[in-house]
Amino acid sequence: MVERYLHALQLADAGEETPEQTRERLKAQFPRNAVRRMTQLGLLVGSVLHELPLAESDAVVYASTYAETRALEDYLASFPTPSPALFQTSIHPSAVEQALIARTQPVRWFVPLSGGARLARQALVTALLLPAARVVLVGGEERGTWLRERNLASERSFAFACFLTAEPAGALARLALETGEAPDAPADTAALQAALRDRTPLTFPAAPGRRLQLDWLP
Amino acid sequence: MPTSDLIAEPVAIEACDCLTPLGDAAATCAALLAGRSALQPQPVQGAGGGDLVPLALCSPMAETVPPRWLPFVRQLAARLPDAGWGRPGRPVFVTSSNFGVGSLHAFVRDGDASHLPYGVPHRAVEFLTRELGWGPEVFVLSHACVSAHLGVLLATRHLHAGLADRALVFSFDFLSPFVTGGFHSLKILNAGFPAPYAVRETGSIGLGDGTAFAVLARTGGRARIAAQAVYNEMFHFTSNRPDGTGFADCIRPLVPLLAGRRPWIKGHGTGTLEAGRLEAAAFAQLLPGAPLVSWKGALGHTLGSCGLVELALALAARDAGRIPGTIGSTAPVFSPAVALASFAAADHDTALLASNAFGGAHAALLLDHG
Repeated sequence: MVERYLHALQLADAGEETPEQTRERLKAQFPRNAVRRMTQLGLLVGSVLHELPLAESDAVVYASTYAETRALEDYLASFPTPSPALFQTSIHPSAVEQALIARTQPVRWFVPLSGGARLARQALVTALLLPAARVVLVGGEERGTWLRERNLASERSFAFACFLTAEPAGALARLALETGEAPDAPADTAALQAALRDRTPLTFPAAPGRRLQLDWLP
Repeated sequence: MPTSDLIAEPVAIEACDCLTPLGDAAATCAALLAGRSALQPQPVQGAGGGDLVPLALCSPMAETVPPRWLPFVRQLAARLPDAGWGRPGRPVFVTSSNFGVGSLHAFVRDGDASHLPYGVPHRAVEFLTRELGWGPEVFVLSHACVSAHLGVLLATRHLHAGLADRALVFSFDFLSPFVTGGFHSLKILNAGFPAPYAVRETGSIGLGDGTAFAVLARTGGRARIAAQAVYNEMFHFTSNRPDGTGFADCIRPLVPLLAGRRPWIKGHGTGTLEAGRLEAAAFAQLLPGAPLVSWKGALGHTLGSCGLVELALALAARDAGRIPGTIGSTAPVFSPAVALASFAAADHDTALLASNAFGGAHAALLLDHG
């Protein structure tokens, strides 16, 4: 059986906070020369990873449907003289890269996932499959402006992170691939954040005759 | 699961092909062997004008509705074996760097909301899924220019975990002013044509359209991926650690598997000077004598699809019996191992195919083709 245990859960919910408000609130956690260039999602992802000391041998699984929405909006607005800084910041896994580059923390395995209604399940399955003793599952979204008004960005800004290891002692939850079927259950990053916050069990189909199960431990 | 520096589970390639401005994998390989390049000087912002830069385009760089990439991915997908893709046990792994983001640029420029449904990754992939008749089991991976490698890696893990009996990795990246403007702003896309691994005063890259697929299974197939490795430096967004150790840290776990083998190397080789020098040095140190080529001097950098496009070309080169050399480059080069001319595939039994990306991301796989 493939299973891992969830530890050190970190949640950040900035709701409808502006990037400037988030920056002011979290700036003490980051090097001064890095914080002024970080996006709101980069700050939130950095803040949840701040409590998780990473090692080079760790695997990082990153889930974000929309990723760097504000950098994308601002980069598009910079045409016809596109901004090099916003171009590089607007790439999908930039939030994690902002956080880890600020710490100069290399990692061997880094799998950034996008996707929509099945992203929660796909991120959890990916976290079970990577060849690392410790996996960091991290995700989040950033509240957009004009992209949000067109249903192309998140309504809220949030981030989450946790360790997934083979160690059951002190674990908050158990994640496993089990034998059996499960009904299809769409769940995006916001639904995963809510399940982690409310400690709601999750069950998803994983393959014919296999299901993915997240159970919270007493 | 214990920590490992590599994925050592072999995976079979049942089918693999690509589409570039030079044609499918066989036609593109033949063009490379003939020394042809698809790169042409083009305005950096398409109809918006700007400096002339080297681009390899399947069609003019205009943002259309539906997007201009649709007919090309349809053309390629028509070559896929019919296997119920996207249904349980037959997952699809779609990889790209830009997906349909050029459509957002068109919306901002023109105010035409008909571009919006293709603008963000999961919407572009949902559109692709409907167009190609796939089921909902579709993963979306986005890690800039190592995206395709990660698709292959994750598909491999699904196969060996028993979550799939066959898996489809599908990559596409088509240029738009969004991305050409970005690379031009970084000054690495300029008036010069790329000369990978060449010692020059100024580095230059070209950019290109590309789409590719690979059908993977646990056994059988026409070739085998023996092992895969990745490494993420997290040193700087757009540069590598100056000592080049990031390149070596990625490929080092693969080196013991090459004992007694006769490898050749398809490097990333975009045409930037510092990364090219570091990459060539790492290969020369860890795999001395293995010929090193890059094909981005002819095709441009196909970004998130490059790992899969170049895998398809490596297989086509094996089938053709000759490995294309590093088109666009002339001596002096960074390493004596850089192969400027084509060479016989029969002299080798393994290819190491490597790609790199923003953030100091590195990925490599070993392709058995003996």
